[in-house]
Amino acid sequence: MIEVAGLRVVLPPAVLAVDGVDLVIRPGEFVVILGRSGAGKTTFLRAINRLVEPTAGSVRVAGRPVTGADPAALRAARRQIGMVFQQFNLVRRASVLDNVLAGRLGYVPTLSSLLGRFPTRDRDLALDCLSQVGLSHLAIRRADTLSGGEQQRVAIARALAQAPAVILADEPTASLDPALTTDIMGILQSINTERGLTLVVSQHQLETALAYASRIVGFRAGRVAFDGPPAAVTAAVVDAIYGAR
Amino acid sequence: MRRATLFVGLVVFAWLLWDTGADPTRLLRGAPWILDFLRRMMPPDLAVLPAALTGAVKTVEIALLGTAVAAVLALPLGFLSARNVAPAPVFYPARVVLNFFRSVDTLVYALIFVAAVGLGPFPGVLAVIAYTTTSLAKLYSEAIEGIDPGPVDAVTATGATRLQVLRYGVLPQVLPLFLSYVLYRLETNIRAATVLGFVGAGGIGFYLQTYLRMIDYPAASTALLVTIVMVMVVDALSSRLRARLV
Repeated sequence: MIEVAGLRVVLPPAVLAVDGVDLVIRPGEFVVILGRSGAGKTTFLRAINRLVEPTAGSVRVAGRPVTGADPAALRAARRQIGMVFQQFNLVRRASVLDNVLAGRLGYVPTLSSLLGRFPTRDRDLALDCLSQVGLSHLAIRRADTLSGGEQQRVAIARALAQAPAVILADEPTASLDPALTTDIMGILQSINTERGLTLVVSQHQLETALAYASRIVGFRAGRVAFDGPPAAVTAAVVDAIYGAR
Repeated sequence: MRRATLFVGLVVFAWLLWDTGADPTRLLRGAPWILDFLRRMMPPDLAVLPAALTGAVKTVEIALLGTAVAAVLALPLGFLSARNVAPAPVFYPARVVLNFFRSVDTLVYALIFVAAVGLGPFPGVLAVIAYTTTSLAKLYSEAIEGIDPGPVDAVTATGATRLQVLRYGVLPQVLPLFLSYVLYRLETNIRAATVLGFVGAGGIGFYLQTYLRMIDYPAASTALLVTIVMVMVVDALSSRLRARLV
């Protein structure tokens, strides 16, 4: 459950990236956010876990307030929000398993984690998540020796290791070959159906969005221009989201 | 505009030549004396070889210990003076402190520490630590400022604490660079430690200076040759290690 009310984000120096968004995403939904580049998709997603500080408005995720939370509460809230990035954002020199283990940082004792030690339970869980994306055989490889598609699967495993309530994915297939798009979107879909996780995925490809989403939210100039099921996306809606003005 | 710049440059250059008494003819007139100096250094007096080697080992020890301690001390300082990880109220004072202490050379620190703790290798070690800590901290902080912010975002998003983000998002990215800087500093510190003996801070420099004072040029040339070989060996080993890191 994600509740966003009156969200505004002004990026420095003075770019109004998100301009008054109200949105309630129910548990188990697969929401795809559509929009041209610069429409505010990325900023909106990053404001949900406060990687970007909202200028105004409120965000709650799984009942916990994200906006206005003190550092400890913010970490607790972030723990239940997995995030997948366009550029994968793995630590390139670290092993695949270490990258997935990073997803456990919010759960393990700080001191021993600083020494690089993780409880066996967390290691098992990380390996589990790796096998869910079909990569357990690559656990000890260095992350930067993997292909782009594999790296994104590792990033998904890292998000899963957080045992999150929701996963945010910011253009997860934009840096990949078209053939890998179905691969990654398929994995996200199975997470959604099998685990019942709430997914919010930004996409600029209309066909992909319509094929996977249970709900489409169209962004235009930082505002919600459309909100409805894929079946309701007509030519007029596409024009409202993408059309020249 | 360009002509004016060139003109000003030439004037400054000429003034510098005049003010420093730079005179190529003086160098030419002095050339025979250099040759005479070199001739009197030949052949090297191998009787002092054991003493010179002992001094060289001391010098390497001073540089090794000093660099190792500095490499660790520089870690917190490096993070505190990196713009992208330290908060502004910490970052600015840390930068000022670094630039202040870095503006003094190892040799000057050696003079201070010899006065404070007496002669021997120990003030040399302290001098190496004093300079290397701040200069490494500066290099560290620049490495930290050059990292890819992506992994930092990703680790932050997991709900990690600030320290965990540094450990898992930042450190893996910069560690190889840090090690490479430490080795580079070790190389320069070997050279710096050579001179430290001149002010009484131990090592091969002490022998070199003593022989020169005693006008025992053959012995001095042995010390000099040992120094050259020592620096070359350390340089070769260190650069081989550094090549592996990148």
